[in-house]
Amino acid sequence: MEKVIEIKNLSKVYKNGRGITDINLDIHRGDIFGFLGPNGAGKTTAMKIMTGLIKPDSGDVKILGHSILEEYQEAMGKVGCIIETAECYQYLTAYENLRQVSRYYKDVDDKRIDEVLELTGLLKYKNEKPRKFSLGMKQRLGIAAAILSRPEVIILDEPLNGLDVEGMIAMRNIIKNLVEKENTTFFISSHLIHDVELTCTHIGVLYDGKMLNVDTMENILKNYATLENYFVSEVERNGRI
Amino acid sequence: MVEFKAALINEVEKLYKRKKVLVALIISLIFIILGQLSMVVLRTGLGLRGVSSMEFPLLVLSVVVNTILPLFTALVTIESFSGEFSQNTMKIALTRPISRLKFFTAKLTAIMLFILANLLFVMIFSLLAGCLFNSNSFTLKSVIKVLISYLVTLMPMVSLSIIIVFFTNIVRSGIGVFFLSIFAFVTFKGLGIVFYRYSGMFLTSMMNWYTLFNMETVPAFKIFLQFMMMLSYVIIFFTVGYHLFDKKEF
Repeated sequence: MEKVIEIKNLSKVYKNGRGITDINLDIHRGDIFGFLGPNGAGKTTAMKIMTGLIKPDSGDVKILGHSILEEYQEAMGKVGCIIETAECYQYLTAYENLRQVSRYYKDVDDKRIDEVLELTGLLKYKNEKPRKFSLGMKQRLGIAAAILSRPEVIILDEPLNGLDVEGMIAMRNIIKNLVEKENTTFFISSHLIHDVELTCTHIGVLYDGKMLNVDTMENILKNYATLENYFVSEVERNGRI
Repeated sequence: MVEFKAALINEVEKLYKRKKVLVALIISLIFIILGQLSMVVLRTGLGLRGVSSMEFPLLVLSVVVNTILPLFTALVTIESFSGEFSQNTMKIALTRPISRLKFFTAKLTAIMLFILANLLFVMIFSLLAGCLFNSNSFTLKSVIKVLISYLVTLMPMVSLSIIIVFFTNIVRSGIGVFFLSIFAFVTFKGLGIVFYRYSGMFLTSMMNWYTLFNMETVPAFKIFLQFMMMLSYVIIFFTVGYHLFDKKEF
């Protein structure tokens, strides 16, 4: 299977001593990779490095064969992402926000913008400014921006933040549909372990800046009743709970 | 180039939608109206000649170049950088397929276009006001003189905005950058007066460099020296500013 994301010896340690150390990871095309770990484990740091928002102390990330450090533009060409929080320009309407994003890609027209707004349930708020949006609606707009360019790789940091049940189900369906129809690869971090269990095909556990284990969901559920049990056992095994 | 163009259009759209441009243009217009009113008062009340139609735009320029123009340049630059740093919206564009250099340059180009638009706006309206309310001295030569004066003022303003961009990358808060910019502007203005022999080195003394183009005998060498000095400011502060921006973590 084709490697879509390759993370090699990735390290980034902040002045306070937190960060990530020597992370190695391969994600293949069509995988829905769940990136689990408690607060402060280094998930966002890893994802920020993957999207070029911060530079690592050492190591590299390759997306679709392009190094994020040396060929940033090529590496990000087919990537959509939400990192930390779904940000948007408050003084632009939902449509204008997506129009801003669309200008960086070739085949994204107004029809596609309407399509993703419909998909995320925001079509009726198309001409409203996000200033008055709830957290969940802003998150939906962030998701719309992430999938707008029909990316081959989607990196989502806590994509379900602020979403209601309906939104979570819709999000899960969007992910599964994209994997099924377009063989999109997902890299998702989430604290909502039940949702990760329902969505992801592969799981990696990060603790204290180190990768504890990577396994398929199928294997995990063969040996454990739930993903939560696996997560607790993995962290316990490392003597940290 | 496609990415640069996309980023530039986005930046221009953001500037326009934030309404700061509109405010800047309205205040510029108020300045022109006040200037013209004071000319009318001088003429009718005190019997002074005031200015002719082609002198009025240059009179307006001499005032705005040391007041509202640097102020708006600073505000728009701070909004474009510090504003986006604090609102965390910089990452919207930075996670797109565009290098930081192209994005940084697109932002600066948008600011440059804003300054140019502001200058042209003031020029057109002061020309109109000048022609409507003052004694007519309209000649093609004088219009070209006005046009050149306004266009060359772009250079010191762009240099100023690049220095402010450097400030936005070293000082976290937008208000901090604003006060630092004012402090630096006033300090260098003062230094230019105290150490007048060295004032040619300070950017603040180059705001009026358009006057060199209006002399009977154009001092080409002096213009060249001032141009090179401003170019040096641009190169140094662009390089350092970009270096800091490139290293910045979001």
